Amino acid sequence: MTGPQTHTVLSVSGLTKDYPGVRAVDDVSFAIEGGTVHCLVGENGAGKSTLVKMLTGALDPTSGSMSVNGNEYTPNSPQDARKGGVATLFQELHVVDELTVLENLTLGMERSWFGFLVKSELEERAVKTLAAIEPSIDPSARVSRLSVAQKQIIEIARAASSGANIIIMDEPTAALSEREVERLFGVIRRLRENDVTVIYISHKLDEIFELGDNVTVLRDGKHIVTKPLADVDGRSELIEMMIGRTVFQSYSPRGTVGNKVVLKAQGLTTSLLKDVSFDIKEGEIVGFYGLVGAGKTEIARALYGADSFEGAVDFKGKPVGRTPTAAIASGIALVPEERRTQGLFTNLTIRENIPVMNLPRVSRGGVFKAADVQDAAHQYVEQLSIATSSIEKHTEKLSGGNQQKVVFAKCLFSNAELLLLDEPTRGVDVGAKSEIYDIIKDLADQGNAVAVFSSELEEILGICDRVFLMFDGHLQEEIPNGPDVDISHILNVVTGGQESVAQ
Amino acid sequence: MTSYSNQTSSAARFTSFLRNYYIYFVLVAVVVLLSTANLDQFALFERGNFLYKRNIINILRVSAPLLVMAGAFTLLMVSGYIDLSVGSAMSLSAVVYAMLAINGVPFIPAFALTVLVGVLLGAVNGFLVVRLNITPVIATLITLSLFKGVALLLVQDGVSAIKSGNFLKIPGWFNDYGRAKVLFDLPAAFWVAVAVTLALIVVQNRGKLGKYAAATGGNPTAAKLSGINTGRTVFLLYVIVGASAALAGIARSSFMSLGDPLSGDGMELTAILVVLLGGTAFSGGEGKVLRSFVGALIIMMLTVGMLTIVPAYYQTLVIGSALLAAAASNHLVSRKGKES
Repeated sequence: MTGPQTHTVLSVSGLTKDYPGVRAVDDVSFAIEGGTVHCLVGENGAGKSTLVKMLTGALDPTSGSMSVNGNEYTPNSPQDARKGGVATLFQELHVVDELTVLENLTLGMERSWFGFLVKSELEERAVKTLAAIEPSIDPSARVSRLSVAQKQIIEIARAASSGANIIIMDEPTAALSEREVERLFGVIRRLRENDVTVIYISHKLDEIFELGDNVTVLRDGKHIVTKPLADVDGRSELIEMMIGRTVFQSYSPRGTVGNKVVLKAQGLTTSLLKDVSFDIKEGEIVGFYGLVGAGKTEIARALYGADSFEGAVDFKGKPVGRTPTAAIASGIALVPEERRTQGLFTNLTIRENIPVMNLPRVSRGGVFKAADVQDAAHQYVEQLSIATSSIEKHTEKLSGGNQQKVVFAKCLFSNAELLLLDEPTRGVDVGAKSEIYDIIKDLADQGNAVAVFSSELEEILGICDRVFLMFDGHLQEEIPNGPDVDISHILNVVTGGQESVAQ
Repeated sequence: MTSYSNQTSSAARFTSFLRNYYIYFVLVAVVVLLSTANLDQFALFERGNFLYKRNIINILRVSAPLLVMAGAFTLLMVSGYIDLSVGSAMSLSAVVYAMLAINGVPFIPAFALTVLVGVLLGAVNGFLVVRLNITPVIATLITLSLFKGVALLLVQDGVSAIKSGNFLKIPGWFNDYGRAKVLFDLPAAFWVAVAVTLALIVVQNRGKLGKYAAATGGNPTAAKLSGINTGRTVFLLYVIVGASAALAGIARSSFMSLGDPLSGDGMELTAILVVLLGGTAFSGGEGKVLRSFVGALIIMMLTVGMLTIVPAYYQTLVIGSALLAAAASNHLVSRKGKES
C-alpha cells in the first residue's frame, strides 16, 4: 500500500507457546511488511496477548523462531526488544509524571560526562520526532500536566526517536475519547509515512478498517490468515474468520425463570458506564457480554456497591445501599473478577474463608462457634464437590477451579439471592468449568437470580437465558438466548458495529 | 478523567507557585515572628533582637549537622526510599571521629576515614534494600539499631562519650572545625554543609543521578523499562546519605568536642520533617534539595527559638506537630498538582 517495494521487517515461523494443559499459540507463522500498519485480531483467548508477549520478550516461546530485519530475534525483556528495534506501547502508561516531556523522551538514553548530563543530538532528534508527530505538545512542559492521550504520544515519540522501527500497540485506544483517538490515528499515519511499522491490536473492528494495511487473524491459538485489509470483504468476513464455524451451542431453555423482577437497575452511570438500565427476574440467569473494557465489571461492582455511581438500583422493591456491606445484607453477593486478590483470603484455610461474608450466622454474642464453622465448611465442600484433602487446606494451594468453588461457597453462605459472577470460569480447567456451570444452573433452579459477566461467548450462550450486549459503556441490546441466536450479529454489536438493527 | 488541553488553569498555576515558593514565605514568616517576639529575658539571645549577628551565627553553627544531611536525604526520598538509620550513622561517625582524633590521627586522615565509614554504613543500607530486597523502613530500622549498638560498644564501659581524659586529650583542631570562624564569622562545618548542598543542587538539576532519582521515585516501572538501573541509583543514594551522615557526625562532635554515641538520636525524624517541610513528596518523584535546606534552617530557628520560650520537654511534641502539619500540607499540595 505504501512503497513500491515491500520488504519484511518482522516474521515469525512455527511459533508455539505451551502452558500446562493449554497450547496458547499453536505453530503460528506470518510476516509483517515494513512501513505498514499491521492489525492483529482474534477473540478473547485466541492467543493475541501471548503472541505479543513473545514479541516483546516478556515470554519465551516453547518452539519456533522470530526474526527482525532478517536477523534472528530472541528478546529476553522489553529493553532487549527495544534494542532489537521493537518498542511496545503498553496499556498502562510508562512515563514519569514528575519530569518534563523532553526529560521523558531521553530517559535512560542520556549522554553524560562524569555523571553530568550533556546536550546531545539525541535531544534534538527527540524534539524533532515529537514535533513531527504531534506539534502541539511543548517539550518543556511537565508530563503531569498532560492528558492520557498526550502521555501516550510521548511514549510513541520516545519509541520512535530511540530508533525503534517497529512499534507494538496493544489496545491503545481503550482509555481515549473519540477526539483523542482521531489524534492518535493521525500520529500512527505519520509514523507510517516515516517508514515505521506499527503492529496494532484492537477489538474495535472499525479502527482496524480505518487504519490497517494488513490483518492477521488468530483463532484458538492458530494462525488463520494474513492478508491486506483491502481484500477483506467488510466486518462480516473478518468476524467469520475470527469465530470460524464452530461456536459451541449447548443452551437448553430452563423452565424455572419466574415473572417476578427481583432487580431493577435504572440509568447506571459512572465514568465508563452510560445510562445502563436492565432488570433481572427470579430464577433467571442473565449474561452480560462485551469486550474487555466494555463496562461489564463496572456494572457488577456498581450493583454490589463497590464503586460509586449515579442511577438507581432496586432489589426486591427496595433501594440497595451503596456499600458492599449493605449489598450483602440485602442479599446480593459478588464473585469478583480477580479471584486471588479480591475473592479469597489465600493465606487462610477453606474453613476460615467460607463464613467471612456472614460471620453473625455462626456467632453468638460476638464469638463464633467453631463447630458451626466446621459444619458449614464440610457442607459446602460436599455440596460444591470441592476437591481437597481437608477443610484445613490453605486456599492458595487449591487449583483455580476449586478456589473458585470456595468463593462461591463464601457467597452462598451469605444467603445471597442474587449472585453477580464476574468472569466465573477464568483460569479454570475444562472439567471444573462444567461443574461450575452446573452449580450456577442449580442456583437458578432454586429460584435465585444470577448475573454472569463474561468475555467468553461460549460461556454466555451456554448458560444464560437472556443476554445483554455491551459496547463502550453502553448496553447496546438485549437478546433472548436460544438455538437460533445470531452469533455474527452479537459479535458485530460488541465490536461497535453501528449498522446493528435495533430490536 | 482526562483533560483535553495542557493549558494550565490559573488555579493550577497558583498551586504550582505555592509548591515552589511557599517554603521561602514560611522562612520569612518565622524570622519575622522570632524577631518581633520579646526574647529579652532569655540569656541565649542577645538582648532585644533575634536578628542580632551573634544569634544568627549561633543558629547557623548549631545547624551544620542537619544542613549537611538535608540535601542527600532529599534525593533519597525523591527516589521513593527512606533511611531511618541516619541518626545512628551520625552517632557512630561521631564516635569514630573522636576516637581517631584522641588517638593522634591528624585532621585530614581522620576526616577522610570517618567519611569512608559513612560510605560503608550507607552501602550496608543499600545492600539490604537493593540486594536483599528488604522494605526500606524495616531495613534501616534494623541498621538504626545495629549502628547505634556499635557506637555504644566503641565507648568504654562507665564512660558516656569519647572525650578528653587524664591521659588522652582531644586535640585543638577537633573543636575548630565546628566552632572556629573561617569566613563571615562562620565555621568550616557550616561552609561544608553549604558546599555539599550546592553540589547536590547541581547533581539534582544537571546530573544523571538526580534525574534517575526522580524517575525511580516517579514511576519505577517506566524507569526500568527505559533501561535505568534503578537498583544502582538507589544504592548510590544510600551511600551518599551515609557519607552525609558522617559529615553530620563530624560537625556535631566537633561542636560538642566529644564523641557521643547518642548524639544523633532522633535525627532521622528531624531529617524527614525537614524534607517534608521542603515539599518533597513522601511517595517520591517530587522534591528539591534547596527547599529542604531552607526547611532545615526553619526547623533549627524554631528549635533554638523554642529553647528560649518553651520548656525543653515540649519540644518533641512540637516537632511532632510540625511534622503532622508538614505531612498534611505536603499531601494536599502534591495531590492537587497531580490530578488534572
